[in-house]
Amino acid sequence: MFLTEKKDINEIDEALNKYKRIGIVGCASCASVCLTGGSKEVKEMEKHLTNTGKEVAFTISIDEPCDKRVLKEDIRFVEDELSGTEAIVVLSCGTGVQTIGEYTGKKVITGVDSKFIAQTEHIGEYNALCEGCDECRLNFTGGVCTITLCPKGLLNGPCEGHNGINCEVDENSKCVFMKSYENMSEFFEEENLNNIFTPRDYSRTIKRKI
Amino acid sequence: MVIIPQIETPVSENYIDFEENLSKLIEGVKYTSKKFGLKEANGAINSYSIVIEQNFGINALFLCKDLKDKYNNLNVIYAFNMRDKNRTAILSDLITLKQLGLKDIIISEGLHPLKTVFYASKPVYDIDVLGFSSIIKTGSPYLKANDYANNFSLFNLGVVVAVSTPVDFLKIKKLSKIGVNKFVINYFGDNLDINIINYIKAEKKPVFTYINEAGIKSSLEEFIKKNLELNVDGVIIKILNEKSNIFTQD
Repeated sequence: MFLTEKKDINEIDEALNKYKRIGIVGCASCASVCLTGGSKEVKEMEKHLTNTGKEVAFTISIDEPCDKRVLKEDIRFVEDELSGTEAIVVLSCGTGVQTIGEYTGKKVITGVDSKFIAQTEHIGEYNALCEGCDECRLNFTGGVCTITLCPKGLLNGPCEGHNGINCEVDENSKCVFMKSYENMSEFFEEENLNNIFTPRDYSRTIKRKI
Repeated sequence: MVIIPQIETPVSENYIDFEENLSKLIEGVKYTSKKFGLKEANGAINSYSIVIEQNFGINALFLCKDLKDKYNNLNVIYAFNMRDKNRTAILSDLITLKQLGLKDIIISEGLHPLKTVFYASKPVYDIDVLGFSSIIKTGSPYLKANDYANNFSLFNLGVVVAVSTPVDFLKIKKLSKIGVNKFVINYFGDNLDINIINYIKAEKKPVFTYINEAGIKSSLEEFIKKNLELNVDGVIIKILNEKSNIFTQD
């Protein structure tokens, strides 16, 4: 899931300042799970905009607004209202916002901040475990991503700053390289213990399109 | 065992004044060394070293050059980290260092920005010390048609490490295999694994401890004594203020 957090409502109001007739699109997928863009949040946004003098042209929750195929199908339900809409408040991650903007050609305003790819512990409690770095090394690190879990994103750790147990930055957490070492030892991955990772190849991330 | 002061370049102070204070600092180090009966107490030529930290960029390189030219008996070591610059910028600094005739370098991953006054900065960490050591000692698969390794392998490369856990030991073995010339232990107190230090010594590589002067909880004498017991080749002490510090207080 991609985690999002609600934006400060004042920022949204400011961005909508020039616009009167507004549409609201929610995301029934990730943003719904993290309580930032589900039908409840869409209703709350509708109420807020109405109370601040805006005219809400339509509201809709789309299963996956980041998926153009789904978007094309679902947006047809508000096709008539869309034509007269000046701006759309989108309650989804940045990918959803940009997909809707590109597809509708309308001014889009994001109602949330995009955070990270998240593991859900409970609703309201999430962990970042993967950064989508383009070159997964989990097969060689005891199954933990040091790029994501080490605050310095090191490939070949640990750094010199840990105190023998805990991380230099997050003093309440164990150094991820120790966890990685423990896992590799447990699974007798001697060959991986002696591995030296070459520096990341950023030429792979210039244009991410497959 | 030797004592080596480490200092950052000044933010606003004039270099002439700063260098004058560095001279006083070196005198203080000599005095302290003599007091504790350490190696450099006799004042051997070319045996005094100082570590200049990279902070605030190219001016640190100028300072290194200036110190090298002015003080014949001073061995200037340039210390930099992986936090502030990407591999291109770091290799660019190495070209400058080589042209300036400076060969002693110490690298570390670097304290995370969150732990500094620049807490909101984007940390770089484009490569880590193992990756960087590989580049300059053995060449890199990502540097096409270059002679970086040929030119940089002669740098006397020191790496700052932790020596508490099995995973530190592994990292040190890898660094040693790559060809790192010396090790600098980030000193946290009593949680050092003496087996790792013995391994480094057995590899015939010099080993130093590093501490910020504010981190010395006991007296300087006791700290020196502990390091003598560890059988390290030297202690590098980060000085926070060149005018007033543990070496100039006496």
